[in-house]
Amino acid sequence: MKAVILGAGEGLRCRPLTLTRSKVMLPVANKPILEHIIDALFKCSINDIIMVVGYKKERIMDHFRDGVDFGVNITYVEQKGQIGTAHAIKQVSSHVDDAFIVLNGDNIIEAGTISDILAGRSGDVTILTVVREHTEGYGVVVSEKNKVMNIIEKTTEDLSHNVNTGTYIFNPDIFDYIEATSISETGEYAITDTIQQMIDDGKNVNMVHSEAMWLDAVHSWDLLKANAYLLDRFEPTVNDCTIEEGAVVRGRVNIGQDTVIHPGSFILGPVVIGKNCEIGPNAVVLPSTTIGNYSIVEPSALIKNSIIMHDVRVGAFSYISNSILGAHNSIGSHFITETKENFFIEMKGILHIAAKLGTVIGDGNNIKHKVLTEPGKMISTGCSIASGVNVSRYIPRNSKVF
Amino acid sequence: MCGIIGYIGDGDTVKILLESLRKLEYRGYDSAGIAIIDDEGKARIFKIEGEISKLESIIPGISSRVGIGHTRWATHGRPTTENAHPHCSGNICVVHNGIIENYQELKDKLISEGFVFISDTDTEVLAHLINKYYTDDLRLAVGTALGHVRGSYAIGVLSNEHPDELIAARKDSPLIIGLGKDENFIASDIPAILKYTNRIIYIDNLELISVKQGSVRIFNMEGNPVEKEEHIIEWDLEAAEKAGYPHFMLKEIHEQTRSIHETMAGRLHELEGDVNFEELELNRNEIMQFQRIEIIACGTSYNAGLLGKYLFEGLAGIHTDVDTGSEFRYSSPVLAPSTLVIAITQSGETADTLAAIREAESYGCMTLAITNVIGSTISRDTSHTIYTRAGPEIGVAATKSFTSQLVVLYLLAIHFARARSRMDVDRARMLLSELRKIPGHVSRILEDAGTIHECASMFVKAKNYFFIGRNINYPVALEGALKLKEISYIHAEGYAAGELKHGPLALISKDVPVVAIAPQGHTYDKILSNIKEVTARDASVIAIVDCDDYCEIEKFADFVIPIPKTDEMLTPLLSSVVVQLLAYYTALELKCSIDKPRNLAKSVTVE
Repeated sequence: MKAVILGAGEGLRCRPLTLTRSKVMLPVANKPILEHIIDALFKCSINDIIMVVGYKKERIMDHFRDGVDFGVNITYVEQKGQIGTAHAIKQVSSHVDDAFIVLNGDNIIEAGTISDILAGRSGDVTILTVVREHTEGYGVVVSEKNKVMNIIEKTTEDLSHNVNTGTYIFNPDIFDYIEATSISETGEYAITDTIQQMIDDGKNVNMVHSEAMWLDAVHSWDLLKANAYLLDRFEPTVNDCTIEEGAVVRGRVNIGQDTVIHPGSFILGPVVIGKNCEIGPNAVVLPSTTIGNYSIVEPSALIKNSIIMHDVRVGAFSYISNSILGAHNSIGSHFITETKENFFIEMKGILHIAAKLGTVIGDGNNIKHKVLTEPGKMISTGCSIASGVNVSRYIPRNSKVF
Repeated sequence: MCGIIGYIGDGDTVKILLESLRKLEYRGYDSAGIAIIDDEGKARIFKIEGEISKLESIIPGISSRVGIGHTRWATHGRPTTENAHPHCSGNICVVHNGIIENYQELKDKLISEGFVFISDTDTEVLAHLINKYYTDDLRLAVGTALGHVRGSYAIGVLSNEHPDELIAARKDSPLIIGLGKDENFIASDIPAILKYTNRIIYIDNLELISVKQGSVRIFNMEGNPVEKEEHIIEWDLEAAEKAGYPHFMLKEIHEQTRSIHETMAGRLHELEGDVNFEELELNRNEIMQFQRIEIIACGTSYNAGLLGKYLFEGLAGIHTDVDTGSEFRYSSPVLAPSTLVIAITQSGETADTLAAIREAESYGCMTLAITNVIGSTISRDTSHTIYTRAGPEIGVAATKSFTSQLVVLYLLAIHFARARSRMDVDRARMLLSELRKIPGHVSRILEDAGTIHECASMFVKAKNYFFIGRNINYPVALEGALKLKEISYIHAEGYAAGELKHGPLALISKDVPVVAIAPQGHTYDKILSNIKEVTARDASVIAIVDCDDYCEIEKFADFVIPIPKTDEMLTPLLSSVVVQLLAYYTALELKCSIDKPRNLAKSVTVE
């Protein structure tokens, strides 16, 4: 069976991280979300993958290339203009001639999630669902036993606890229905409208319930939760790294090739550190933290419960907690992130609640010494921030703050 | 990274193995080998250090019905004929891609049991291990042997006691099975066998495969059969290797964010403020003794060498000359043993450069090669070699190999400057930390590639182009002109900006775009007046500037391409990427054959 992964969208709600990469390429436990999906497909012996790409497609292609390093064969199909899931699936019509599985590129899943839908497949369309207590903002499925009666795009009321994971098995006849799907009120061709039409036409649409992992990071800060969740489960491997005398590495810790941990540093797992990094001397890395390739943590810095992407420099004596730092950031000494719990963050006029957050910083910023970020105040990409600045509001892209 | 292949069937086994290996050459090509069983039932092994074509030349015409092959790209360790695969033990022959982590432990044990090792490879352990457990069932022996192994592998195994069977297995390294008509294949990658069949079975971790002429049977490690689905592949060969990109050149331009990191990996010691090349053992005294550096290179590598001149002189205070290989050998060179001769060549096989370096050796000079290919001819002909680690480059127009050469030259110049006490620790530390930021800056340029595309479209009708720059930006001007010539067939000239008034200004007119490489620096005011010279003649100016500088130059330039701010010395690494993209998009607009420009070849092994 071939797999179609939808990875063309941007992921607006994960800005500023998605200004330079799409949501599917956001790292969790040091792997892009999309790589978790491909690993899961590979484990289920699904090796033929058609990737629908669009927004920042080069980032995806540079990472996965033809898929051979991941044990799969990837064909890229471009979706020009992100005008809905049905439109995205339509792009692959010439690449499939048999039943195929469709997955969202931005949900974190495991092999069990896929084997559940494969095992429970029946009828013309199979939909994978998970049970969630709060379903607001999710698509849900209303069913009688396993037969789907109604499929609702984004619910506001308590119609059902069966959340639609966006994982489907279709037959090629789906393409005829997609052709007949009309544009929705929001200006999109939604696959849920296509499926609703099939139900109305008396087609056999069934749901399969899964209790395996399915994580949806809606906002950027949800990545921290997903990261901690996955770090509690990963299997450490031994790589060719250097832990210098006097450094302590305790617990489940993965350290990449050619990374050096300098004397006096203390690393307490679960922690994942990429390749070619330099940590310390005297740096402290606490759970649940991931640090990407080629990053440097300077002397006496402390990092906990954070995602540091690749090629980042964290200055001496910095204190970073509950935060996400994008790639290619250069941060001076004494950088401090303040953390708060259960508070509202305003994005484009809408309030969102964050359980616990320091800050989120996009790519390629140049932050000088003694900068402090107030809780939830983010920095976009390409900014220069002078020494001594208190970041007390959102800093838009390419800003210079003095 | 290596590639493996296996064949069983009635076809011309040797020919099929060699052709498939050629398709895998992108995975490596510093040594190669095959093992076949001839019609008398005898195993015949052929292996050699070098490319597939070299391997082909040593194989006589032999008829055979089963064989395995291997091509190697050593990233650590030496590529020698002894270390080339296949590796054998008794009647067992093995090809392997991957790393056996507990090989030392296994090797010690096997030696104590009387097995004799010929190579330094981890693969030979596998061969002996399989031999040790072999009684009469080859598949069982392979399965038992792998049970003792930690690490990653994709292997192909052959024995002359089983001329009708090939055994394969995988864990964490790619492996596929190709199903033909009365013939079957194993391979690291689909393109290797796509010429012969498009029916593929993907092999999963910890699966063991018995391949015969008429059957393929797959087992798990417990020995139970596994049912696998067959896949029909419908993709064209080239598209697969380009991974979604329309051209290798664009793919390789994008790979620079990764390749520049790879070039620096493990070599930067920021805390000490120094650079360390694992492969270069020169002590302080030796470095102090160089009175002069002579750089020899051709084409793009020459432009890298010219930047090297500015770096060795500017940072390390060593007088440096640069010559093209083809000129150097016929120019009665003045060389002394105190001269360090540096040869720069991506392939390590450039004939002109090779001839020149041999000439230099005859004067007793110390020689140093900067190359991308481990074990290439140049690395054997020089006393020292530094590898650029840019990875295989397929597009004829050099891109990532150029920036990696530049990075090596920066590192070398800093290393020499430190050893000769021409640079203090603090300045070195600063330069090294700025160097580490370069990949991030390159990714910002790539993010904004649309601007460069727009610029290329604007001037696509131009018949002539000029590239000007001063000091360290002059080599970038030459490289920009070379790239444009190579792939878009537009006449382009690179000039030291101050030289314009000594002739070429006569050619500057309304329809000629002039690309000025003008980041801030000590020659900035000078190039600004050069820009005014050409705008006074109605030429269009494309200015490459660093971010902070928008306003001032905008008054004179028709198009401004910004690059991120970095240390003045390092801007060539960024402006190079801009001129690469400018050439690429110009050729794209003109619909030229970008990856294979007319009359040119990737590695020029003739004089």
